[in-house]
Amino acid sequence: MTFTRVIAAAALCAAVSAPLAAHHSAAMFDDEKVVELNGTIKEMQWTNPHIWIQVVVDNNGQKTEWSIEGGSPNSLSRNGWRSTTFKFGDAVSVRVNPMKDGSAGGSFIGAKFKESGKTIGRWE
Amino acid sequence: MRTALFAAAACVIAIGVAAGQANKPAPTALPDWSGVWQMIGPTVFDRASVQPQNGRAGDPGVREFPPLTDEYEAIYRKNIERIKAGTFPDPISVCGVPHGFPRIMNVPDVYEFAVTPAATYVLAENGPGIARIYTDGRKHPPAEELWGTYTGASVGQWEGDTLVFETRGLKESRDNDVIIDRTGLVLSDAARVTTRLRKVNETTLEAVMVVEDAKALKAPWKVTKQYRKLPAGTWAWDYGCAENNRNPISGSGKTLTIGPNGKPLDKNVD
Repeated sequence: MTFTRVIAAAALCAAVSAPLAAHHSAAMFDDEKVVELNGTIKEMQWTNPHIWIQVVVDNNGQKTEWSIEGGSPNSLSRNGWRSTTFKFGDAVSVRVNPMKDGSAGGSFIGAKFKESGKTIGRWE
Repeated sequence: MRTALFAAAACVIAIGVAAGQANKPAPTALPDWSGVWQMIGPTVFDRASVQPQNGRAGDPGVREFPPLTDEYEAIYRKNIERIKAGTFPDPISVCGVPHGFPRIMNVPDVYEFAVTPAATYVLAENGPGIARIYTDGRKHPPAEELWGTYTGASVGQWEGDTLVFETRGLKESRDNDVIIDRTGLVLSDAARVTTRLRKVNETTLEAVMVVEDAKALKAPWKVTKQYRKLPAGTWAWDYGCAENNRNPISGSGKTLTIGPNGKPLDKNVD
């Protein structure tokens, strides 16, 4: 089952929202809201100044590609991430602070791999 | 013969004195600041005065309280309003300019501090950024030879195990092209910063900065930042900001997000 779910509980948002060590303003992201995406990995761009995780969400046949921004590969690698952490075709649940204007983009909070059950980032 | 020897000795002494003036002897034992360090806390420059407490730089309404003059308080308030409107871009978003000083002492990711007799180099992974602090006995260039740069000119000396240096020649913020942090703080080209940098224990470096600015500040502004040593063997990496920068700035100052088709995802691009 693939769906997009909004978790609007403010307390949960406060617990899981984390600012990126970004090189830019984060004004485009809504850090009061958490969206959980269920989809498959199209690509992880392991690049500076930020990594990007491209996730394809299939909502009853309508596919949407989300662009999810993470920290720098430098800082993430020091926290256990690798360039192969997300691979093409991985089935994942990903939580993000979405873009305020409803566009298919967000700031990474955490993810859970469906096959292994492993999590990365903040996933409570 | 005696005259010749005397003349030669005098020349050696004279050369030595001249060299001494240009290259002040460094302390016999420089401190060991090796390793990789990370700033403690978030990137609000003056955490002692930030409101609300624990507010994050860039969040709407978050501000510090340096002793700003009326002119620079008005500039700060204007910038705070732009942050609320989402139209205050970080100048480093364009991946082509340094953070500048003192912001370089207030950045995420990691640091290295390279101490040599003639200079100490602050190497910030983020940016990347470099601050050069000369300790070879030189003076600051005379005012007519200085021009405003992001990181300015830093000259210092060792007082025991403390590196004391003054930074001058800082660039004036023009349309917020250099900032102190993402709360919207800026200084003028009259800013001078005196920094005392030392290791307070094996795992903590501390920078105590006193900012003076005849245009922007009514009184000296003291800010302390600390850096925690990361485990031995930690790597600092290349940070190629322009490698895949998917966050260009719009005409109004809005930070955009580029989607998979190379065009902004944002619904309103102005």
